[in-house]
Amino acid sequence: MPYRDLREFLSVLEEEGQLLKHTDPVHPEPDLSAAARAVPNLTDRGPALLFDNIHGYRRGRVALNVVGSWPNHALMLGMDKDTPVKEQFFEFARRWDDYPVPAERRDDAPWQEHTIDEGIDLFQLLPLFRLNRYDVGTYIDKAVVVSRDPDDPDHFGKQNAGIYRIQVKDKATLGIQPLPTHDIGLHLRAAEERGENLPVAIAIGNDPVMTTVSGMPLTYEQSEYEMAGAIQGEPYRIAKAPLTGLDVPWGAEVVLEGEILAGVREIEGPFGEFTGHYSGGRRQPVIRITKVSHRTDPIFEHLYLGMPWTEMDYTLALNTSVPLYQQLKKDFPEVVAVNAMYTQGLLAVVSVKQRYGGFAKAVGMRAMTTPHGLGYCKVMIMVDETVDPFNLAQVMWAMSVKFHPQHDIVTVPNASVLPLDPSSDPAGITHKVVFDATTPIAPETRGHYSQTVDAPADTKKWEDLLKGLIK
Amino acid sequence: MGRPPQRTDQMSDLPTTCARCDSTGTIRVLTTSPVPGAWTMYACSTCTYSWRSTEAAYVSDPATYPAAFKVDPAAIAEMPVVPTVPPRRA
Ligand SMILES: [Zn+2]
Repeated sequence: MPYRDLREFLSVLEEEGQLLKHTDPVHPEPDLSAAARAVPNLTDRGPALLFDNIHGYRRGRVALNVVGSWPNHALMLGMDKDTPVKEQFFEFARRWDDYPVPAERRDDAPWQEHTIDEGIDLFQLLPLFRLNRYDVGTYIDKAVVVSRDPDDPDHFGKQNAGIYRIQVKDKATLGIQPLPTHDIGLHLRAAEERGENLPVAIAIGNDPVMTTVSGMPLTYEQSEYEMAGAIQGEPYRIAKAPLTGLDVPWGAEVVLEGEILAGVREIEGPFGEFTGHYSGGRRQPVIRITKVSHRTDPIFEHLYLGMPWTEMDYTLALNTSVPLYQQLKKDFPEVVAVNAMYTQGLLAVVSVKQRYGGFAKAVGMRAMTTPHGLGYCKVMIMVDETVDPFNLAQVMWAMSVKFHPQHDIVTVPNASVLPLDPSSDPAGITHKVVFDATTPIAPETRGHYSQTVDAPADTKKWEDLLKGLIK
Repeated sequence: MGRPPQRTDQMSDLPTTCARCDSTGTIRVLTTSPVPGAWTMYACSTCTYSWRSTEAAYVSDPATYPAAFKVDPAAIAEMPVVPTVPPRRA
């Protein structure tokens, strides 16, 4: 720790046996996305993939599934690759509290090596490829998009670094999906009200912490770079992009610069989404790229998404769970842990120590009114503080023996949800539900829970002993 | 791994019909492979659909392209605008 760039992380993955270099020839379609789909189908401990022999490219390289497993996620945090998810969760939450860590500005970024101002053709620079069968075209979906607030351009915190889906429409023309609720959506709105284009810088191929932080639901004035510093435990390196002056990750492989064109909307999509369904098409903003900076033989880092689990579920797992945990814990210190990693928290599991009968149900409903919960938290499962919400075997045990269908369902009608949820009807509206699988306590005295089977004495001792022996 | 390279596409092989929106005469060469002759990418100017000459017929054949993913060119102008364009400040 920390990783200065993607290449440094890939070499650590290789040392740890978590990188598969594939040197046989492959086709851009369907080989690359099929391989990235296959890894999480097989295992949750799978490797990152690096392809360097892609049909039609001389030196094209594509990295996939970089954070697409629990060992890779642990290594991203600089932890032992065998660290259990629950421990990664608590470590992530602990570092989150270190925010902000000021960024480190530098002027020697490796991507300054080459620049292109004329005749830009992104397809020549990067092995762009179709991810899912009926995507409208090729996409860039793991790049950090940086923009500033046109009304307050010198505010570092309001400068936003986020990941948005980007359709490559032409050699130097992109389509982007900045939703009104996204920070970049606020920037675009201000720019369009002023009648100006919105300058953007798009950094492709980054260290894994930056990718993780860019997917976090931070507040408008919080800086992703200062959060990256907190998560990696050292100041995060940034450098000024030459055309726009925007701050971009120092370690990026490629930096694209250009503008979102004010007032322009053009058909975009469909694109296979994290819900396991396609979304689109809509008329969305267009970006014109006018300057490219890049390293020699840049690596195109890309992300497969579709029916969970995919790499996206790993990259968003804890940065969805941790803020929900922090927000719930502020009101209800009895909350022990939150697992909101099922389809970005459309379903979440909360372990909580009940104060009194009915308490867990209230905590479940509170989750629905947190900032993230307004668009997610459709299905809440509440479990006791003794149940590990990251251990689905334990969660299913609680559902099977603690949950009573007559007493333990709370339905909230016609609540808000993200419109991408294909079950919402109309799009953006759904009933929500709390399943209370905690043990009833007074004044709820139903059930027969007085004779719990506890673990034999010294079980913990034997766990530690055997862990050492197995390793 | 992967299929052997398919035919080399030239400008003269420009597809006539977009598999997605069934427009004719709207297809252009998007780009060609850095290694000459490996593949050509095409794009439709009406619906922005794009594909590579080495992809399977399921992306390029207008006759078998699934109805659920087809787009009527006339419907494009009616698609929702996200995000909406705000009025200019006075
Ligand atoms: Zn078309």
